[in-house]
Amino acid sequence: MGKRAFTMLMAVLGAILLLLIFFPVVRIVLSVSPGELLDTLRETEVTASILLTLRASLWATLLAGLFGIPLAYLLARKEFRGKRLIEGLVDLPVIIPHTAAGIALLVVIGRHSLLHRLTSVQLVGTEAAIVLAMFFVSAPFLINGAKEGFRGVDPRYEKTAVTLGASPARAFFSVTFPMARKSVVSGMLMMWGRGISEFGAVVILAYHPKTAPVLIFERFQNFGLDHAVGVTVLLILVSLAIFTGIRYLTRK
Amino acid sequence: MNITLRDVGKRFSTFHLQDINLEVESGAYTVVLGPSGSGKTLLLEMIAGLIPPDRGEIINPNRHIGLIYQDFMLFPHLTVYHNIAYGLKVRKQSGSEIDQRVGEVAGQLGIDHLTGRRIRGLSGGEKQRVAIARAMAIRPDLYLIDEPTASLDLSLKTRTREIFMDLYKKTGATFLHVTHDFKEALSLGDRIVILMDGRIVQDGSPDRVFADPVSRQVADFLGYRNVFRGSIREHQIQVSENLRIQVPARQAERAYIAIRSDEIVLSRRRTKSSARNHFPGTIHRISRGGMTCEIGVDIGIPLSVEITRQSLGEMGLKEEDRVWVSFKVSSIKVFGH
Repeated sequence: MGKRAFTMLMAVLGAILLLLIFFPVVRIVLSVSPGELLDTLRETEVTASILLTLRASLWATLLAGLFGIPLAYLLARKEFRGKRLIEGLVDLPVIIPHTAAGIALLVVIGRHSLLHRLTSVQLVGTEAAIVLAMFFVSAPFLINGAKEGFRGVDPRYEKTAVTLGASPARAFFSVTFPMARKSVVSGMLMMWGRGISEFGAVVILAYHPKTAPVLIFERFQNFGLDHAVGVTVLLILVSLAIFTGIRYLTRK
Repeated sequence: MNITLRDVGKRFSTFHLQDINLEVESGAYTVVLGPSGSGKTLLLEMIAGLIPPDRGEIINPNRHIGLIYQDFMLFPHLTVYHNIAYGLKVRKQSGSEIDQRVGEVAGQLGIDHLTGRRIRGLSGGEKQRVAIARAMAIRPDLYLIDEPTASLDLSLKTRTREIFMDLYKKTGATFLHVTHDFKEALSLGDRIVILMDGRIVQDGSPDRVFADPVSRQVADFLGYRNVFRGSIREHQIQVSENLRIQVPARQAERAYIAIRSDEIVLSRRRTKSSARNHFPGTIHRISRGGMTCEIGVDIGIPLSVEITRQSLGEMGLKEEDRVWVSFKVSSIKVFGH
């Protein structure tokens, strides 16, 4: 096979994949008229669910940033016993079914859990539970993104900063973190997006308050396809707008 | 005050430093010379206190250390100004003090016109000077320099050596410079320490080290081109079936010799001289360098001879020419290993 033919083959295969992704998205967006979309936007249940979804996922992302960025840094920089195990553990939520993740979390925070018996805190069915579910299933995106970012920063930058008199913390905040920022932010965006789209774990921990994916599922279940399309398109558009917006703002 | 390393050992990924005993004299320019992978950078990082040794102890009384890495490690998210100012900022100096000092060092290195620039887009030479300026800004008592010219063009290499020499003379600081370039080592150091496979194998003045390498490996590394193996009997080494060379050693079952390529005399005819080794041969290769040229002469073994470009022209040598080579017994180094 010639070089040209090979390149063509690659392009065709890639194009088929892109078509599989774009066609359904474009098709569903075009199936709703602007008037219908506006009507959907006027439903408080819809806007509330979308806002709740965005907010809960943002909280999950911020929490994961607080705990996950330090972990990502350690995994990128240090060699220690059990590191492989920890890396596997971090990836665990990606490979287990999300309904299973939801069930596992329910065991830990539900009515019969130790937590509930000791503190009588009721998390199930609250926004906190939604945050927890999103956190659990999407934190790996943030951790792995940040880890790759830190790995890409030559440790000699930090060492240079330290010999210039910086404390390790100062070297981290003034050199390593800014240099890895792009990957960290990208990881956070991935996590936020993944949190927004989460259904399986969320629906088990909190049917109410309803996140947008749960609302879509409910409308589809109870009223059929036509009633689910509006919310679906709205969620797709909002997500697209936010992500392209942020990508644009954080581009280099 | 001197830096002392006592029985230092360190295992780090592929490097293994062993039994490092070294006294780096305060105010001297010491060069650690070794092939890549010999653990030179690791040694610098340990002296800088960035990595603890596994064994032994390192006493480094210097508090202000200017570490300059091979690839400069300039902070890409900061401007040239803020790179140079970094060490002063973390020392909590005032804005005006920082301004003044940055201006001072940037001026000295001729980069004052670059201070507003980002790092991206600077040339290799500019980056190098920014890295030196950043280290200089904190007025180090000790400069640790890691392969500063490895990624630079030839013309910049010379310029860089001059910058370090200048800095050394002006500041009176201690310099510890690691390199794999023996020419750089010979031109800069008051003293050369040769590191091979994680051990110090030789230590002395540049002249002494170059004239008298302790082993075949060191000779090879110092640019000796003609290294051969054979057995020595009655002051003669048999290096090939019918080639015996007079050597300054009496007896050895297995030995190596090295003949410096600039100490071999090349001529059209057999000449009368005090040299004891004379061999006829054929030129099989001529590679022209800048000032000097390397002539490959086959005398039964491939011999590399260095002559000036001028003599090459005068003698009108070309490939396939028959020539004579001669060299003194004293120009041969003999090694047991």
